[in-house]
Amino acid sequence: MTSSSALALACRDITVNFGDVTALSDVSVGFAEGLIHAVVGQNGAGKTTFARVAAGIVRPDSGSVEIEGQNVPLGNVGRARAAGIELVHQSFALPPSFTVAEAMEYGAEGGRTIYARGAMERRWMRHLEMLGVQVGPRERVRDLPVETQQAVEIARALVTDARILILDEPTAVLSPSGIDNLFARLKVMQENGVTIILILHKIREVLAVADTVTVLRGGKLVEGPIATDATDAAQLSASIIGSSVAGDISETDREALVGAAEESDTDEPITAETKDAPAILDIRNITTRQDAEGPALDKVALRVGRGEIVGVAGVEGNGQRTLVRALSHLADIVSGNIELAGTDVTRTPLSSRRANGLRVIPFERNSEGLSLSSALWENWAARTLLLGGSLKLINPAQLKKTCFDTLNRWGVRFSSPSQPAGSLSGGNAQKLILAREIDDDATLIIAAQPTRGLDVGATAFVWRALREARARGCGILLISSDLDELFDISDRIVVMLSGRINGEFSRPFHLADIGTAMTGADR
Amino acid sequence: MDDTLIAILRSGTPLIYVTLAGVLAQRAGIWHLGLEGLMIIGACAAVVGTVQSGSVLVGLGIGIVLCVLASALLWFVIEKLRANPIIAGLGLTGLGLGGTDLAVQAIYGSQASVNAPFGLPRLGDAFGQYGVLSILVLFMPLAVAGVWVLTRRTRWGLQLSACGEHPFAARSVGVNPARMRLAALCLGGVFCAIGGAELSMGSLQIFAYGMTAGRGFMAFAAVIFGAAHPVGATGASLFFAIVGALGIRAQLLFGERVPHDLLLALPYIATVIGVWISGKLRGGAKAAATFGELRDY
Repeated sequence: MTSSSALALACRDITVNFGDVTALSDVSVGFAEGLIHAVVGQNGAGKTTFARVAAGIVRPDSGSVEIEGQNVPLGNVGRARAAGIELVHQSFALPPSFTVAEAMEYGAEGGRTIYARGAMERRWMRHLEMLGVQVGPRERVRDLPVETQQAVEIARALVTDARILILDEPTAVLSPSGIDNLFARLKVMQENGVTIILILHKIREVLAVADTVTVLRGGKLVEGPIATDATDAAQLSASIIGSSVAGDISETDREALVGAAEESDTDEPITAETKDAPAILDIRNITTRQDAEGPALDKVALRVGRGEIVGVAGVEGNGQRTLVRALSHLADIVSGNIELAGTDVTRTPLSSRRANGLRVIPFERNSEGLSLSSALWENWAARTLLLGGSLKLINPAQLKKTCFDTLNRWGVRFSSPSQPAGSLSGGNAQKLILAREIDDDATLIIAAQPTRGLDVGATAFVWRALREARARGCGILLISSDLDELFDISDRIVVMLSGRINGEFSRPFHLADIGTAMTGADR
Repeated sequence: MDDTLIAILRSGTPLIYVTLAGVLAQRAGIWHLGLEGLMIIGACAAVVGTVQSGSVLVGLGIGIVLCVLASALLWFVIEKLRANPIIAGLGLTGLGLGGTDLAVQAIYGSQASVNAPFGLPRLGDAFGQYGVLSILVLFMPLAVAGVWVLTRRTRWGLQLSACGEHPFAARSVGVNPARMRLAALCLGGVFCAIGGAELSMGSLQIFAYGMTAGRGFMAFAAVIFGAAHPVGATGASLFFAIVGALGIRAQLLFGERVPHDLLLALPYIATVIGVWISGKLRGGAKAAATFGELRDY
C-alpha cells in the first residue's frame, strides 16, 4: 500500500470467532483520513464486531490494526483510545445513574485527582457547549430523551482528543429529524479533521452522508471502501443482500430491507376496505398508572380491524412497551377499556385474553419470548399449557411430536425438539416464537420489533408470516422503530409520542409527515 | 446520655467499618454477603494474633492480611470461576465462622473464648468519659470521609460505579471491571479486618465463637438502606447502632414488662424495616436488583 500514511485506520486480515461462529473472516480494509465512511451490511454481517475490534473491545483471533500508520495492540481499549479512536455504541454505554458531567468525567484524562464537583461540572459544560449539546450537567443519563443521550454519548467519546470516531448504528434510535441533526453534527466534526466511520444499514442514509461505503456480508468484506459517487442504491442493495436469498424477495421488500427507497409512498392498496372491517381490537382512551418501566399511556385510542396491519411508529421509549404491557395485562389501567373481538377484556387476565385469540411476539426475544434453558417443545407448548388447568396432565411425547411437525412446517432449523431454545440462532428463535404465536386460533397478533437483529432472509420470512396471517383475517399490531419496515407492510400507521398517539396516517405514507409526528414538532 | 452515646459509638464503629467494605463492593457490582465472615476473621485474628505475638499492631496486621486474602479468594471464585456472588459470599461467611472456630480449637485445644491481655489503645483521659473508647473510633469518621472522597470525588470512584452499574460502559473507556472489583474487595477486606478488630479488641478484649452475631449482615443491610452511598450507608449503620443502644436502655427501663428477647431483637427488626423503607423510597426492589449481576455484553 503506497498511501498508507493517509489512512486513518487500516485493518488487515481481521478474523474473529465467537465459539463456533465466525463473526469476521480475513477482513482487510483501510479508511482514508478526514472523510465520512460508511460500513453497511445486514444484521449479523459483522459490522458491530468490526467496530469493536477497531476500538479494542473485542480481541480478534488474528490480524492487525493500524491507526494513522502506527500498529495498535489488539484488544486493548486504553491503547486504542490513546491512539485516537473512539466508539459510540448502538445501545448506549453510559451508566444510567450517572449525571451528564459524571458520564464525561469517568472516561476522561487530566484534571485534578480529587475533583471539586463545581469545577468538574463547569469543565464538561464548556465541552458540551462547544459541541452544541443542550443539557444540564446534573441531569441523569437515564432521564434524558434518546436523542440527547446519544449526543451525550458522542460528547463522551470526544472527551479525549479523538481522531477517529466510529458510530455503531447511530440512526437506529433516532427520528428522521434527529438523523438530520446527527449528520449535520458529524459534518462539522469532519471539517474539524475527525475521521468518521458510520455503521449503518440503510442505503438512503449512506448516500446522504458518507463519502465512501464498505459492504460486509456474512463476516466477509464484499467490497472495500468505494466512493459513494461511484455507486448507486441498486448496486449497493445487491451487494448487501447477496444472491442466496434474493429470489424470494419482492422489489418493494428489497428496498425496505436495505432502506433504499427515497420516499416510501407506494400507494398500492394492500387490503381493499380496511375502514369497514369489523374491529378486532378496540382500545378506548386507556390511561395507565405511571411505573418504573416506562412512560404511562395517556388516553390512547387505537383500533385494529380484521385483516389489517396497523404499524406503531415512534422513537423508542415513548410508550410502545407500555402499550404492549397494557394489552398483556401487565400494566395497571387507570381508565378506559380494551375490547378484543367485541368483548371487554380490560380487567381479564392474559390467559383469557389469549383464549380470545390474542397473541404476542414480545420485544425481547431471549428474555420475554423464550425460556432459553428450556427445550424447544416446552417453549412451543407453553401456549396450550397456559390455557389448561394447572392440574391438567400433559403428554410430552405427543407434544414433542406435534412440535416437531410444526417447527418443520415453519422452517425452523433444529436437530431435536428437546434441545434448549438458547441453542437456536436469532432468526430461528424468532421463527419458534412465530410458530407458537401465529396459529389458527389467533385473531390479534401483537408483533413488537419482530425483525430486530434478524438478517435479510429471516426478516423477509417474518414479513411473509405476518402478511399471511393478515390474509387469514388476523388483525396485526406491528410495533417497530424501523420506518422502512412499517412503510412496507402496514396498512395504517399511528405514531406514539410520550405515551400518547400523536398522529395517524394511512397510505401513501410520507417520511416527512411521520417524522414530524415522531418528534412532536407539528404544534 | 453520655453512656448511651458511648454505647452507640462502641457498637456502631465496627458496623460502620464493615459497612464501608460493603459500600465499595456494592459499587463494584457485588452483593457482598461475605462481610460477616470477613469481620469474624478480623475479630479472631486480632485477638489470637495479639495473644501470640504480644503486640496489638501485629494482631491487627495479621487480621488485615487474612481478610485481604479471603477477599481475593472471594473475587477469584466470583470472577474467575463465575460463581454466583451471593452464594460465594455466603460461603465466605461460613468459612469465616467455621474457620475461626477451628483455628481457636487448633491453637488452644478448646472452643472456649480467648482473652487478650490488653486491647486496642484507648483515647485516654483527654477525652473524659469517652476515653474508654478505642482509637479506631476516632479514625472511623476519617475512614468514612476517605471512602466518600474515593467513591464520589475521584475518577477512580466513577469508574468503580460504572463497573457495578454497566460493566460494558466501563470496558469501553478502557477500564477492566475484573481488576476494579478485585481492588474494591481487597480494600473492603482491610475495612472488615479493622471492623472485626474493633469489635473484639475495642472494649472486651475477647474473642468468642460467632461473636459477630449477624453484624456483617446488618452492615450489608445498611449498604442497601443507604443506597451504597458511603455517607448514607454510614447513617444507616448509625441508625442501627442507635436502635441497639436504645434497646439496651429499654431493657433496663422496662425489662420487667416487655419480653427481653424482643428488646434484644430490636436492631434486627430495625434492619428489616430499614431495608423495606429504603426499597419503598427507591421504587421497589427493582432499583437495587440491577446491582448484583456481573453482566457484560
